Amino acid sequence: MPVQQDALWYKDAVIYQVHVRSFLDSSGDGNGDFRGLAQKLDYLQDLGINTLWLMPFFPSPLRDDGYDISDYRTVNPLYGTLDDFKNFLEVAHKRGIRVIIEMVLNHTSDQHPWFQESRSSRSNPRRDWYVWSDTDTKYKGTRIIFLDTELSNWAWDPVSKQYYWHRFFSHQPDLNWDNPAVREEMWDVMRFWLDMGVDAFRLDAVPYLVEREGTNCENLPETHGVIKDLRTRLDREYPGRMLLAEANQWPSDLRAYFSTGDEFHMAFHFPLMPRMFMGVKLEDRKPITEILKQTPEIPETCQWCLFLRNHDELTLEMVTDLERDYMYDEYAKEKAMRLNLGIRRRLAPLLDNDRRRIELMNGMLMSMPGTPIVYYGDEIGMGDNINLGDRNGVRTPMQWDGGWNGGFSTADPETLYSPLMLNPVYGFQAVNVQSQKRFDHSLLAWMKRLIKIRKSTAVFGRGSIQFLYPANHRVLAYVRKLGNETILVVNNLSSSAQAVELDLKPYKGNILVEMFGRNVFPRIGDLPYLLTMGPYQFYWFKIRRV
Amino acid sequence: MPDESILSDEFIRELINVGEVDILVGVPTHNDARTVGQVVQAVRAGLLKYFPRARSVIINADGGSRDGTRDLVCAASINDTVGSNLPALRTLHSISTQYEGPPASGTALHTILAAADLLQAKACAVISPESTSLEPEWVERLLRPVIREGVDLVLPVYRRHKFDGMLIRNLVYPVTRAVYGCTVQEPYPSDYAFSSNLGSNFLNQDLWTQEQGRHGTELWLTLAAIIGRYRIYQSFLGTRGRLESPPSDLVKAMRETAGLLFCSMDCYPAAWKDSREPLPAPCGGCQPAVSLEPMRVNRKRLHQMFTFGISQLEPVFSSILSTPTHEELKRLATLPENEFELPEPLWARTVYEFAAAYHRAVIGRDHVVQALVPLFRGRALTFLTENREAKESEIESNIDKVCHAFEAEKPYLLQVWDGGK
Amino acid sequence: MWSNFVGEMTRAADEILKGFARFLPRILEMLVIVLVGWVIAILLRAIARSILKIARFDKLSEHTGATQLLRGAALPSLTELTSRFVFWIAWLGFILLGISVLGVAGFDEHVATFIEFLPRLVVSLFILFFGLLAASFFSRAVLLGAVNANLSSPRIISWAVRTMIILFVVSMAFEELSISSRTVVVAFGMTFGALMFGLALAFGLGGKDLARRYLEKRFGSEPAEEQHDHEDELSPL
Repeated sequence: MPVQQDALWYKDAVIYQVHVRSFLDSSGDGNGDFRGLAQKLDYLQDLGINTLWLMPFFPSPLRDDGYDISDYRTVNPLYGTLDDFKNFLEVAHKRGIRVIIEMVLNHTSDQHPWFQESRSSRSNPRRDWYVWSDTDTKYKGTRIIFLDTELSNWAWDPVSKQYYWHRFFSHQPDLNWDNPAVREEMWDVMRFWLDMGVDAFRLDAVPYLVEREGTNCENLPETHGVIKDLRTRLDREYPGRMLLAEANQWPSDLRAYFSTGDEFHMAFHFPLMPRMFMGVKLEDRKPITEILKQTPEIPETCQWCLFLRNHDELTLEMVTDLERDYMYDEYAKEKAMRLNLGIRRRLAPLLDNDRRRIELMNGMLMSMPGTPIVYYGDEIGMGDNINLGDRNGVRTPMQWDGGWNGGFSTADPETLYSPLMLNPVYGFQAVNVQSQKRFDHSLLAWMKRLIKIRKSTAVFGRGSIQFLYPANHRVLAYVRKLGNETILVVNNLSSSAQAVELDLKPYKGNILVEMFGRNVFPRIGDLPYLLTMGPYQFYWFKIRRV
Repeated sequence: MPDESILSDEFIRELINVGEVDILVGVPTHNDARTVGQVVQAVRAGLLKYFPRARSVIINADGGSRDGTRDLVCAASINDTVGSNLPALRTLHSISTQYEGPPASGTALHTILAAADLLQAKACAVISPESTSLEPEWVERLLRPVIREGVDLVLPVYRRHKFDGMLIRNLVYPVTRAVYGCTVQEPYPSDYAFSSNLGSNFLNQDLWTQEQGRHGTELWLTLAAIIGRYRIYQSFLGTRGRLESPPSDLVKAMRETAGLLFCSMDCYPAAWKDSREPLPAPCGGCQPAVSLEPMRVNRKRLHQMFTFGISQLEPVFSSILSTPTHEELKRLATLPENEFELPEPLWARTVYEFAAAYHRAVIGRDHVVQALVPLFRGRALTFLTENREAKESEIESNIDKVCHAFEAEKPYLLQVWDGGK
Repeated sequence: MWSNFVGEMTRAADEILKGFARFLPRILEMLVIVLVGWVIAILLRAIARSILKIARFDKLSEHTGATQLLRGAALPSLTELTSRFVFWIAWLGFILLGISVLGVAGFDEHVATFIEFLPRLVVSLFILFFGLLAASFFSRAVLLGAVNANLSSPRIISWAVRTMIILFVVSMAFEELSISSRTVVVAFGMTFGALMFGLALAFGLGGKDLARRYLEKRFGSEPAEEQHDHEDELSPL
């Protein structure tokens, strides 16, 4: 099943996010690698996903989990060789799985040769590849993102005796995108990977590319200019490839990154995710419907990217103070669970390992308008280790079986890049792929079914959404529609059974067919349609005329 | 089994949509469109500010308003269908129902209690639609003790005019304090809060078919809490707004206060006859709660109505009062207005004899209560004269004096209770 | 003469004794009947009492307001009253039965008349009893209402109400006893008048403010009237 030729393929995608390092170690050095990943493509195909998003695998000092790149044009030797990558890519495409890779445009590692040259002297030709200043008072209106570790966006370089600009860690100097040479070089880097066959880029930290005095240095028109330029080149030379924006912004600010369909194809919907967790905890759909109402319409060719959890903390930047306090109190009671403005935990522990809530959240993820992302390990309900620093607690090795190192590596456990989960609830003996494959009712088996049903129709990826607002605020109901196909989704966000009356008058005379069991429900009449729902239960109904 | 049949099917459907709540705020109304909007907005602001995480509902029990009161309450809802810029975490339902029967605060309270019981509200506040001076803080001061400290009944303390609420200050408050041993300044509250525990206990009491289930039910609730020895707390709220509507009829007020007090003494003699430990009712944020603006009062009329009552109701009084008390009152009636004084001990004995007469039903019980009205006017006149120039602290101590008289005369009450005239 | 006298006396005594001896069984019979009747009456009273208790008759009477009336008249509860009534009626019946056993000439007829008369007597007693209670109740209600409304001469109004009700009640009772049927018409007339008067009074009390406001609005306000209600400016609660 080779990759299909459809320019809008990303709308129907189900993305699986994984770090090469965390998936499978074939060499026995304690780090996952491309050969290992290639071996597990069968598993991914079986799971039903059709797109892989790989986190940075470039050579790097690994002080920010690979987002500090020291060479853009090869593979970190820890993960194999460039040939390993090419081989992996080929195998993936054969299985109909597309590959998204990371492209960190905003900054490099301070170990990158470009920066080494740039800092070597003020007169170096690469000097203005980065942002240098004599004072640390320029761009005062700019916020600091990593509040827990950084005091300023400027760092002093003792070598060339000037400050350099960094929006993230001080070991990640920002590239100077005002410099045409930088633009050309970065496009060249992208071409390098596009030529190899990579299907899409996730462009990291997009809003921060360009700096201007007197602004907050985020979402500037010049930044949009850079993106438009890249997109034009991409469409011209590599049609059918895709750009995905990572921009942790409000939907209205994000909207600009779709422009008229000539910037990004996709962007993450950051504010929705914490509100889904909030809705389930509050047992109230209000946070979810409100944020989706605030979400602007986007061009036909564009798509939102939805996720429950990823490799970063569950970010709470896009919520009010009231909401953030609530989220902290409900989802991160221990201080160690908090990081920056967020919660560094995985899906299962966040939801108290409650199968019903995990299913409900995944059900919502798969049925809302957008392309869903499954973070590796969440399909089997892996746990996190909050005792590891930074966000490493959610980046522990994939748990394949109950054997040596959880089947991740043959190396000595001490040499693994990260300790395995060992506790009796989430440890690899309790939670692993092998044991879940043995049972039809395991979370893994259930996820497979969910993804299969999601992929059985284009409505979820491409259809419109209309909320129903039943008077019972604990029930979130919406109708997805594409052409003459209509799907009704009803979610009970409450921990108790609920009765809900749905106004389905426009569909009078139709019957409902539940999509998981394909059972027929009563015909829709004049009266409000009464449904009773168990705790955290959700239904997907096809609305069909008979 | 709480009687839930008082809730209409339509209302129950709305309650299903509300679901289980932590806080229920009840607003009993009847043609209150002038003020209810403002009150409900303040309640909502209080809920959002002080209990943002709690599942709350505002329930309006209406007695058949025709001025759009109910719509004004419903407009306070916060949900995802109507856009609002309020920083609300949750949906807030604000619903309204019209109870059956004539408008009566007791029936409204019954409806609110039944709804609270159905929704398993942990704390329930009732706010008068006439509380125009309501601040969002009131919601917090009423509900916090119930939610955080496990108090069962929170009664308000208002800053009021020194001559406001004279029936409360000269009769209900002293009798409650002396007879039941509980010092609550506003035993007949219009804004108050209670726990689910007290609420469902009260709901299950056998009073809803009787008079106290319709009028004066709030006083009955206070008395039930005192008699059941629930945890009571008083919260200082602030100035109570005065409405410009005609004040209520004194006979009606007497029925709702003295009538219910006597009735409860008659029903629950064990609760006060044996001396019990006083029931504490600590007060949060209390301060001298009187204001002193001048007020015009027709004292001549009070005096005239007292003497007129004494002379005209002679046969009634002779069957209620003991001879010495009656004689003393008759003597007072002969005094000119400027020398007139109905002293506290005599007032206390009079009230106690009325209570005993009520208990023994020497004449129709309602007549006993009505007969007290002219005598109260005499007491009111004395209070006005006594406190004409009084400052805050003097008022307080004068009210205390009334209480002490009632406390001192309690043995006399026990003596006359079963007929020892 | 003496012996003659003694003989007469002896004969007379003998007569009396004989009479007694003739009469004694009947008296005993009567006593037995009365005694048995007493026992039966007590039983009936107990039965009536428990039936009424089971039927919560007191509650009913409380709701109708009869209890209050009885309390006002220092009478026991309606259950007690009714069961006592049952007792007395039953026992009275037995006593009459006993007396009839004595065979006193003409007594049977009297008993028959009495028994025939009994229900009407009971009814008229009832009317009289409740009527008098009602009279005192309503007159007091009017008195209190009038005093509290600050009407002039409340006692006269109260007396008028009481008199009218008593007149009506007495005439009804007589009518029941068929003693004077003409009074009924008169009484009705009077009652009707009283009723109208009462209604007028009630409307007057209830609607005086309304009427005053109406009149003021209609014919211009009089400041002197305003003064009147200042006491009420103080909210009692």
